Amino acid sequence: MIASIPSAVLRGVDARSVSVEVHVANGLPGFTVVGLPDAAVRESRDRVRAAVTSSGLPWPRRRVTVNLAPSGMRKGGAGLDLPIAVGVLVASGVLDAAAVAGLAFVGELGLDGSLRGVPGVLVLADALVGSRVVVADVDGAEAAAADADIVTAASLSEVVARCTGRRPWPDVARPPAGPPGGIPAPSDRGDLADVRGQLLARRALEVAATGGHHLLLVGPPGAGKTLLATRLPDLLPDLDPATAREVARIRSVAAEVGVTGGRSARPPFRAPHHGLSSVAMIGGGRAALHPGEIGLAHGGVLFLDEFGEFPTTVLDALRQPLEDGVVRISRSGRSACCPARFLLVAAMNPCPCGEGGVPGACRCTPAARARYGRRLSGPLLDRFDLAVRVDRPAAADLLAPPSGESTATVAARVSVARGRARRRGVPVNAELAAVDLDRAAPLDGAAADTLARHLRTGRLSARGLHRVRRMARTIADLDAGAEVVTGGHVAEALLLRGGRGLLLGEEVR
Amino acid sequence: MTGEDLACAAALLDLPGMTPVRLARVLDGFGPVLAWHAVRAGTHPGDRSRRFAASARRVVPADVLARYRDAGVALLLPDAVGYPAALAGDPGAPAVLTAVGDPTVVDGRPAVAVVGTRSATPYGVSVAAELGRGLAASGVVVVSGLALGIDAAAHAGALDAGPAAVPPVAVVGTGLDVVYPWGNRSLWQRVAATGAVLSEAPLGTPALPRVFPARNRIIAALADVVVVVECHGKGGSFHTVEAAARRSVPVCAVPGSVRSPASRGTNGLLVDGCAPVRDLDDVLTALALARGGRGVGRTDRADTRRPPDPRLGGLDRAERAVWESVDDTPTTVETVLLRTDLAVATVGVAVEALVARGLLVEGAGWWSRT
Repeated sequence: MIASIPSAVLRGVDARSVSVEVHVANGLPGFTVVGLPDAAVRESRDRVRAAVTSSGLPWPRRRVTVNLAPSGMRKGGAGLDLPIAVGVLVASGVLDAAAVAGLAFVGELGLDGSLRGVPGVLVLADALVGSRVVVADVDGAEAAAADADIVTAASLSEVVARCTGRRPWPDVARPPAGPPGGIPAPSDRGDLADVRGQLLARRALEVAATGGHHLLLVGPPGAGKTLLATRLPDLLPDLDPATAREVARIRSVAAEVGVTGGRSARPPFRAPHHGLSSVAMIGGGRAALHPGEIGLAHGGVLFLDEFGEFPTTVLDALRQPLEDGVVRISRSGRSACCPARFLLVAAMNPCPCGEGGVPGACRCTPAARARYGRRLSGPLLDRFDLAVRVDRPAAADLLAPPSGESTATVAARVSVARGRARRRGVPVNAELAAVDLDRAAPLDGAAADTLARHLRTGRLSARGLHRVRRMARTIADLDAGAEVVTGGHVAEALLLRGGRGLLLGEEVR
Repeated sequence: MTGEDLACAAALLDLPGMTPVRLARVLDGFGPVLAWHAVRAGTHPGDRSRRFAASARRVVPADVLARYRDAGVALLLPDAVGYPAALAGDPGAPAVLTAVGDPTVVDGRPAVAVVGTRSATPYGVSVAAELGRGLAASGVVVVSGLALGIDAAAHAGALDAGPAAVPPVAVVGTGLDVVYPWGNRSLWQRVAATGAVLSEAPLGTPALPRVFPARNRIIAALADVVVVVECHGKGGSFHTVEAAARRSVPVCAVPGSVRSPASRGTNGLLVDGCAPVRDLDDVLTALALARGGRGVGRTDRADTRRPPDPRLGGLDRAERAVWESVDDTPTTVETVLLRTDLAVATVGVAVEALVARGLLVEGAGWWSRT
């Protein structure tokens, strides 16, 4: 007898459908799995056999061959346990082939026949649209967000009972269709009103949130760089439905690395430690090519504290995704794409002693400072539109009651200004094409004069000019939506831009 | 002084592992020729461990001297022409000095060392340049170390004082074929072309940490007065101050803002009783006292007075507020925002105007008055 059961395996943040073919024939009793299974799939032989027998079902005392088609593709994960078990039951005649027609299965089996959840169930179910997908009941809520028809079961014996029609499939509660829009609810990350002083950095956060401009915070230890950065995600508006879905898919796949799945309209915030490897940052590893930190930050904020301490290779690997918004992970014979459009916020000390940045304050030798600066490649630093210096607040500021604007006030302004950019046809101003700048961000006389002067003196390069114009556009959007970019907008953009000297300090000559 | 003396002195200076202290011991009481042959034979009482005997046997002194001549570097021995008289009586005087340029400019003239931190503020740089210019124009040799920051500003000021002024003298720690720091190379060339660059290190000596404190003692020994323009609590400038104190050379300090880290050391010196330097006159007074009442002629009395700045007229309210919030030490954007209570864009526009008028210097994230 032969049976063919549809299922799916993960490949990056996508899934490929797999057909589990089971053949039961006369011969020496045995159980083989072919079709490029990885270790977890090969081990499923033992789990499946134990689960079937402990569920009180007969195990065929014949030769069982399982083929995972297409057989040229490497397959990983324990989600194939359930389809293999069901295939064996059908091929050995315990279940009628008609009873499982139109059903697909995804789930891991325990030795006692219980059904366990698998990472990426949302993505797996999405790959099986058109079938009714059977998943573990713990996975039900997550899988329900998929387009496929989802049913759940708690154990192998329940699956058999429901397939044979002895018990009907229960309904799965679907989450509301779209995420709520509008101003985000306060989170537990703290309010912007808690930040004392820091007028410039606050403004930089607002501009970053509005225009999607990457932000570099430079300052001595204890100045409040981390405090500021953690306030940024709450300034961002809710994700649009398409991005929210991508984020949910990535989170679902990453469940294995300790990120809770489920769907949220709030942008993610990721703050990896600087000890992480290049694979952890970009993604990869294992058969499934897991998303890395930049994938998990998709649609939200990637905060890299102690930016200078990250390995150079890890930082330089950020350059391509920052440019493309997508990361392509390739390993021999397999490759995967993961969306990675995030707002990068980095914080670092200006020099090894931490006090530098302003002439006269730093005690590092010029050589030590140059070495520190060399850790960051110029092309990477170029990606930061905003670079501001964050100094320790004065004692009086720390003791005074909070006086700055709250997260809600600023987020409302950000939301309105973002709407203006969207009407221009881009999600955020940082993505404005250079050729569109003259149309989207026309300059008045004073603005053109200021830019011309900076170009003449060499403080601004051609590439820098485009960045400043995009930032000035964002600032104008925040300024009651002025159509024309004025000298004030450009001057502010230039102030917020900082420059490379911010990091290295300079010798006064 | 014969050619053989110079060749043997060059060969001794050039031996691997030779330091100023060891060289002084080897040449103490010996002529260079005698010392060279004793070292080579391993019989020198100052080199009992025969540290240098083996390497000395591989060296031909005339070849070493030729190498110095080819590099345009002169060798100065005590008691010979060109060796600065101020060093001759000094207990820590270098046994062999190398020089590019004209080392005799220091002889018979008053000398003031203008020293300070490499990590200087625009205030310190402008004061150092002003003092360098005024001193050179007043007939004083400006001595410094050609480091970044204050040293460079003092040399540059002295060079800018005009053709009639006294050229400056630099004492560097590296070999004279090694220009360090590289950023000062054009300044190095100008000092060598008009005044002199001195070093006690053999050719090829790189910028090792130990050479700079040793260099500072020569600066202190050459000077009649040491002026510290800006320095942090400790560091290179304090080596010069200590060396000066040991030689009873008066030390003066330029006061700075109590908030400026770069003035912490100099303000500390003032507390310790050093004379304050407000302008050129204060230095010239200290110099006259140090030289037993022999003052120096002034040529440019009017030059050092700052006239009221005509550029300040016609500033609008925001520009004036920003100008008043910025001081002589680097003032960050954040400080200006706090002091003026203006919006970021308003400050940006005002700063653009002030920088365009030349009233402010702009750094990365800070400004300072010019």
